[in-house]
Amino acid sequence: MKLNHFKTSFFLVLMVFSFLFLPISSHAALDDSEYIVQNLQVNDIPNDDGSGLVLSWKPLSKEKRIIEYRIYRGVTPDSLFYIGRIDVNVKTGVAGDLMYFYDTAYNYFLDIQAPGKLKKEKKQAEDSPLYRRYPRDLAVTGPQFKNYSVLTVIPEKDYYYKNRKIEVVTEKDTTVYAALKLRNFRQLAKKLLDDKEYYYTVFAVNEARKYFPHAEPVMGIPRENAPEETKEFYPVFVKDTNRLQFEWSLPIFTDDIYYHCLYILDKDELDKFQEYKKEQKLIEENNLAIKLDSTVVKYEPKFENPAELIFMRYAGYPYTGSKTVHLDIVDGKIKSEKIYKNEVLGQEFDVDLEIDINNIQDYYFVFSLFDTSNYETFSEVKAAEIVYPDMLPEIPPFTVVDGKNDKGDYNYVSWGKPVVYLTNSSYLNEEKTKLLVNYDTMTNEHYKIRNIYFTVYDDAGNEIKKINEFYQDNKLKIRIPPNTESLNFEITLKCNNPIGDNYVFYQDISWNDQTKSLTPGILYFSESKEDIYKYSYYVYKRNYTDEEFRLSKKITGSQRELYDNIRYKNVHFKITTKFDADKGLIYVSPAFSVRMDGEQENTIRSNLYPSEVEKTLRGYKEQIADYTASKDTLETEEEIKEADDAIEHYQNLFDLLANYPISKEAASFSNPKARIKYLDKSRHIAKNSFEYKIVKSDDKGHFTETPIYINEDAKPVDVEKNIALISYEGFGKDHFFPIPNWFKTTMFPAFLATIIFGGFVFFMIGKAKKGHDLFVRPIAGIEEIDNAIGRATEMGKPILFVPGTSGITDVATLAGLSILGRVAKKAAEYDTKILVPCRDYLVLPVAQEIVKEAHYEAGRPDTYDKTSVFFITTAQFPFVAGVNGIMVREKTATNFFMGMFWAEALLMTETGNTTGAIQIAGTDAPTQLPFFITTCDYTLIGEELYAASAYLAREPMQLGTLKGVDYSKLLILILIISGTILSSVHLTFLMNAFPEK
Amino acid sequence: MKRQIPLLIVIGLGLLFVVHTFVPHKISEDFYEWWQTWSKAISPFMVLLGIMSLFMVHSTKIKRKTANWQYSFVTLGGLLITAFVGFMWGTREGTPYMWLFKNIQMPMSATMFSLLAFYIASAAYKAFRARSVEATVLLLAAVIVMLGQVPLGAQISHWIPDTSKWILNVPNLASKRAITLGVGLGITATSLKILLGIERKYLGGD
Repeated sequence: MKLNHFKTSFFLVLMVFSFLFLPISSHAALDDSEYIVQNLQVNDIPNDDGSGLVLSWKPLSKEKRIIEYRIYRGVTPDSLFYIGRIDVNVKTGVAGDLMYFYDTAYNYFLDIQAPGKLKKEKKQAEDSPLYRRYPRDLAVTGPQFKNYSVLTVIPEKDYYYKNRKIEVVTEKDTTVYAALKLRNFRQLAKKLLDDKEYYYTVFAVNEARKYFPHAEPVMGIPRENAPEETKEFYPVFVKDTNRLQFEWSLPIFTDDIYYHCLYILDKDELDKFQEYKKEQKLIEENNLAIKLDSTVVKYEPKFENPAELIFMRYAGYPYTGSKTVHLDIVDGKIKSEKIYKNEVLGQEFDVDLEIDINNIQDYYFVFSLFDTSNYETFSEVKAAEIVYPDMLPEIPPFTVVDGKNDKGDYNYVSWGKPVVYLTNSSYLNEEKTKLLVNYDTMTNEHYKIRNIYFTVYDDAGNEIKKINEFYQDNKLKIRIPPNTESLNFEITLKCNNPIGDNYVFYQDISWNDQTKSLTPGILYFSESKEDIYKYSYYVYKRNYTDEEFRLSKKITGSQRELYDNIRYKNVHFKITTKFDADKGLIYVSPAFSVRMDGEQENTIRSNLYPSEVEKTLRGYKEQIADYTASKDTLETEEEIKEADDAIEHYQNLFDLLANYPISKEAASFSNPKARIKYLDKSRHIAKNSFEYKIVKSDDKGHFTETPIYINEDAKPVDVEKNIALISYEGFGKDHFFPIPNWFKTTMFPAFLATIIFGGFVFFMIGKAKKGHDLFVRPIAGIEEIDNAIGRATEMGKPILFVPGTSGITDVATLAGLSILGRVAKKAAEYDTKILVPCRDYLVLPVAQEIVKEAHYEAGRPDTYDKTSVFFITTAQFPFVAGVNGIMVREKTATNFFMGMFWAEALLMTETGNTTGAIQIAGTDAPTQLPFFITTCDYTLIGEELYAASAYLAREPMQLGTLKGVDYSKLLILILIISGTILSSVHLTFLMNAFPEK
Repeated sequence: MKRQIPLLIVIGLGLLFVVHTFVPHKISEDFYEWWQTWSKAISPFMVLLGIMSLFMVHSTKIKRKTANWQYSFVTLGGLLITAFVGFMWGTREGTPYMWLFKNIQMPMSATMFSLLAFYIASAAYKAFRARSVEATVLLLAAVIVMLGQVPLGAQISHWIPDTSKWILNVPNLASKRAITLGVGLGITATSLKILLGIERKYLGGD
């Protein structure tokens, strides 16, 4: 058969189609039963709050070419929804014997990107129980709310301004909700409910994306467990200051940990305590046994805890709480600063305990984690380590300020003076007599390092070299004696602010047999002989809405600053159970917290609807009145006390809601929007203002804690100016609020340079406009453009113009397009065809418009061919194939390559070279310039590409800009030369005046 | 008006982005974020432009039966088949789309890329022909740098890798930086020209 073009292309298309059938046909001939997941088990996760299950199954063999396992969950085995997948590397398979999937804590449940309608999972049998993700359709997903704890995440603005007030009337009462559309929620997260049955199944997907049959659904029930035992606990007694210090490790699972508690125990009562501890375990096991079998008898506790509570603190969930505390023994007593309230037990503890400090070794200490379900897990008992105050780390003073150059999302915490340390070393020659030592510095905004002085000593203490690092390039080159096994470095500094004479670091580098190099050792600080890396800094912070401090960041001992990120966009977290499927609304509580009171004990709350605030106040009043009235009928003192407590409680709540300054101010607004705006502002201040303290610790109880930082120079808050600051005691003094900045000071040199550059440009444009002759040096590549177009005209062949392979946002592309305009106009005048292949969708219409306009300007609109400017592909090498094909088939006489290019540059220009076209290229990509220079006739190097348009236009405005660039370059050249000369004589002020990046 | 409105949009938005560079304020950041979301939303429509152009060019070729018009069938066939399998079975691992990508697109791209090695050799030959003093210097520098990158260079003398490093770090880096500096100023000047409406060629016409 004789092949023509049509037949060839027909066969090519057929071939592509037949390739397509290969993967599809490969689905056949597999025994599905061999691909069903085996040994699927669902187990409770230990030590959690009863919301976690772990799935495990045996992975299929590597030969089965599995690429993922898909997991489904439901509350009945007949309807299971997709919840996630585990991807598998098809080449390596799964290494272990079992695969695990954890369904724990709050995780994804629903959002606006979920499918609109309920859909059966694809490629499943008709009666399959598997469905895709929970859909947005609330008629399907809404009823599932009751099977989970559903937490909604609502952006502030949506919660405040896009809610609808809904009243739900029941026989007992009327409840008001804020209803929102699903699109107003950032996400709905879910958590499993304890003691509820959940069903799971898993199936495998192979590399041909064949969905294999699922495993038989397996049931699991999450159970509430006691917290895990604390692994590390360090009690320390500091002699002389009579201080007890405690440090502990935090558990992995913290969701339901309510309190961290500390106890003291007489050594004589250790046995009793161990019995009590064992009994706690028995209680937990008994509770679980009752859940499994209701006939099991409830265990009655026999033992009392012989240990005395000496400290209790709220754990701080969902944040990482503090893990240290110190208790001062005053007059032989441990006394609590406030009454500890255990809200789970409903008990209060006022610690006032005598302790014999002379026989501290007679006591044991124990730490416990207390959870929301009244389970308490104790650590191992430990005796206190006795230390002296000078054995604890010294902590430098620290400061907190608003972060500079930000959008209002950073506070800047800094402490101490700079640190210089050696990081690495390597030999520069085979004789091992030349050594390159790398060093690094850590500083903060208060200290700018000017000079670093390194004095190097050999083993015998002889000075080898003294180096003054006036420019810190983090490298030292030292000539050392042969066979040197160790060197000692003495490091001193000179900064913009005084740091003291004794501020010296010592570090040695010694031969390491493993790395075969001189390795830096411990860095010691002279004043305290402290090992810098032994301790870490823990920066803690607390805002107006937190009861306790939370960890901001743990920082190594050498660092001296922290940019503490504070999110400026806050959200509301609300639990939901109610919905309206018809209207597509999800109901949440309209009540929200604003801040805590000054004593950090009670939460100041408000409501989206003022009427609800009034209703709540009326409710409190009624409760107070009821209890007051009931007192006349009560007989026992206990009952009267209970009534008094209740009256005090409701009066307290009433005062907070009615009389707290924020509540009062909010009530004064008649406009509901203005009221919400005020509360939003007030809450924003409460959430984003932080007080700070630092703990320096070795993680073993040897720590020092700073007091909360106070800015003594802070100005008093002007409430008149900002009413939202009302009642924010300490704002700006101990609570720091990140303020958005209007100017990036780090950009000042760039700003100044832009002004100078703009000045040059305007000056030169003015000069050009006045008729001054501005000399522009001839650029061969540009001057040859006309000739190149003329050549194409003479040969009767088209011109090829590639406007770079970058997008429209690249300035090089814009410069290329400007040149295209001029080339296209000339080509239109000469009636020569121009071909413009594009790689970017956005460049295409711009290039089309340019070529079209060029034809109109040349008075030849009839010669404009719309298909001469066309799109090929966005893929790099297929684009090259397309352009090369055009060059070869069309035999273009002249090729222009103007813009940004990457690896495709040489492929195109070399092809053009072989076709014998005259080629002019221009790019600002330094890596592609050598290729263009080699293969093209003329090349516009870097800035010449940008100058080309002005050069061709010869307009005063364009030429003025060009001259402005030249004068700016002259200025930069002067600065470079001056900087080089000055820094060579150790004058670095000019060099340091410019930013590094 | 046809040109003035786009020009006003360019100048207005251009100035706003210049301000954004120097102003870190929340308002400025929110504006930038909003703009990015918006530009992401409009970019899929641009794909349509490209596809329309591709269809127009190749259907015209087929209609007019221009030279090699049969290849346009292959182009359009490839486009339609790839789009079809992508929409039908998705684009994830294991789908026919991925199969096409791995077995057709990737080897073909790799073929094109591998040609680069031969083209570099050919370009190097042209560049290193010692026809003048400059070309001889270039040749020498290239030989030293190439030898400096392989163990053989260090075997001959430690001066070769040292000199190679020096060539790359001093004269080469200096000229690269000079080009970069010029490019930086060129970009600024072009941006300024666009912002001030001096350069309007990219809108079509002067």
